[in-house]
Amino acid sequence: MAEKNIIMTHLVAGYPDLEESRRAALAMVAGGASYLEVQFPFSDPIADGPLIQGACTDALNSGFSTDKGFDFLSSLTAETDVPVFLMTYANLLMAPGVEVFVGRAAKSGASGLIIPDLPYDYDEGLYKAGEMADIPVVPVVIPGIDEERLKAILAMKPPYIYTAVRKGITGARTTIEEETVRFLDRLSRSGAKVLAGFGIREKEQVDLLSRHVHGSVVGSALVEIIGRCAGENRDCSGDVKAFVESLLKP
Amino acid sequence: MGDYFKHNPDTQGMFGEYGGSFIPPDLQEEMNRITDAYYSISKSHQFISELRNIRKHFQGRPTPVYFAKTLSDECGGRIYLKREDLNHTGAHKLNHCMGEALLAKYMGKKKLIAETGAGQHGVALATAAAYFGLECEIHMGEVDIAKEHPNVVRMEILGAKVVPVTHGLKTLKEAVDSAFEAYLKDPITAIYCIGSVVGPHPFPMMVRDFQRVVGIEARDQFYEMTGELPDNLVACVGGGSNAMGLFSGFIDDKDVSIYGVEPLGKSFKPGEHAATMTYGTPGMIHGFKCYTLQDEKGEPAPVYSIASGLDYPGVGPEHSMLKDLGRVNYVTADDEECLDAFFQLSKKEGIIPALESAHAVAFAMKLAKEKPRQSILVNLSGRGDKDIDFVVENYGIR
Repeated sequence: MAEKNIIMTHLVAGYPDLEESRRAALAMVAGGASYLEVQFPFSDPIADGPLIQGACTDALNSGFSTDKGFDFLSSLTAETDVPVFLMTYANLLMAPGVEVFVGRAAKSGASGLIIPDLPYDYDEGLYKAGEMADIPVVPVVIPGIDEERLKAILAMKPPYIYTAVRKGITGARTTIEEETVRFLDRLSRSGAKVLAGFGIREKEQVDLLSRHVHGSVVGSALVEIIGRCAGENRDCSGDVKAFVESLLKP
Repeated sequence: MGDYFKHNPDTQGMFGEYGGSFIPPDLQEEMNRITDAYYSISKSHQFISELRNIRKHFQGRPTPVYFAKTLSDECGGRIYLKREDLNHTGAHKLNHCMGEALLAKYMGKKKLIAETGAGQHGVALATAAAYFGLECEIHMGEVDIAKEHPNVVRMEILGAKVVPVTHGLKTLKEAVDSAFEAYLKDPITAIYCIGSVVGPHPFPMMVRDFQRVVGIEARDQFYEMTGELPDNLVACVGGGSNAMGLFSGFIDDKDVSIYGVEPLGKSFKPGEHAATMTYGTPGMIHGFKCYTLQDEKGEPAPVYSIASGLDYPGVGPEHSMLKDLGRVNYVTADDEECLDAFFQLSKKEGIIPALESAHAVAFAMKLAKEKPRQSILVNLSGRGDKDIDFVVENYGIR
């Protein structure tokens, strides 16, 4: 679909610490990432696997707070032209109030919000707050989602849709089930920029997805690299940049 | 409140402003399937009569209501116990596990998946799985596995697979995440069976409905014994399943005062208790809205209780609503009061209560002193065999 492969790279703010996650973010951009997804750590990230959960716990233990997160976001958006999306969980929005949180996200320069546990039909005012603050809320869907719910989501005409491609896309022999392809194509036809994620760590996967969606989301693979570098006590910039480049090389 | 059960929860799974289903879309699809199955299957004549049969012949229901005479003489008032400790497996948990497992059977599921903290829910579910010939997979934090060894052995003897959870703090919260993950990998053959009136819709409703048998029985039994309804109800509240069971039999009886007892632990300081409704604020945890112990940024706070079954930073959404409505009074009992009740009930009545249930007994004893002319019906939700080593090792015999 796109000329050059587009990827959104994910990082947990404050993992292993804020300085290192800033370096990682800039390395992702230098490697060619088109979007950044910055996750504010929450102790109970219900949509994430053990790896990202662990990163969130570490970030919280090393003193992450929402305030620091917004400072991080502000400086990051000032430093790079790549759109930065903020991903986190409902309770962090509800504590200060959804409107207040969304307002702060907009002020920090975030280009979109991904809140997987505030679906459109249980959104606690998120979509309205996003509209008021002029920051798009990105609905999260999956192949096999109930038809009525999907229709309701598409009717909102979201500029971006985030979809999980959990099944049928595996490492070596990369294939996507017919049904999933039809689903991705249908999402893309709605006019939304579709971002597809979950378990993407190889160039073949990115290539394959690029024919059906706007961009691929790369998460755990990068968290793993950042974690490994932290374990070895060294700057992760080089590894992160090389990995992102490897996904995008022609 | 005449139509209470028709409107609570509403069609969105909300109890007032609490409850709901705040979860990622893959989980939501499965929850919708369980909700549909629950409505279409569990109201059928066949399902109800099979569950009734199980309750009578396998679980040993109805459990009795017992007048605790010695304790009453000591404290004043009249203290009655609904003896859920005599339910098969020694606690009320089996009431909803048998219901959940029967639903699984009707849905054609082959496997039950759940988390467990102290192992009580795990043992009850493993029992239900054995009864129905289903596979059972219980996720349990490594820390809890070491602490609750006898329950791990019980689950294994019953044929369940205990999956150790090795990440994070290795306790209940991680076990929930791990169980959800296992369930999402296999939603066709497996079903998730939650352990209390918590979690996303439909669980708080479903577990309450299966626990209602406690309140319905107790209301009839108490009336038959005394010719009147109790003046007060008392039950301990962690997630709140046993309390919802008892309370739901009396919600419409406005003259019955209702008390839910939360664990005050060592003190009111954050991290030293798990008194969610007493000290918490509305928030969200594990996919539903409820009173939550959390810091000002919205992170769930560490919790503590002598009773591991009460050790949860959230609480059932229906309790959260009943607190705001003022229908239920939520009060506390601390570790010391709990231990005192544990030994008093053991020595004076010959009943060793679970530490969870001892919180309810502790508050009932206080209430009896304040209201010597009134009757108090306590849900004795479980027996204390599981706690004896822990109590004696840490506190000695009193």
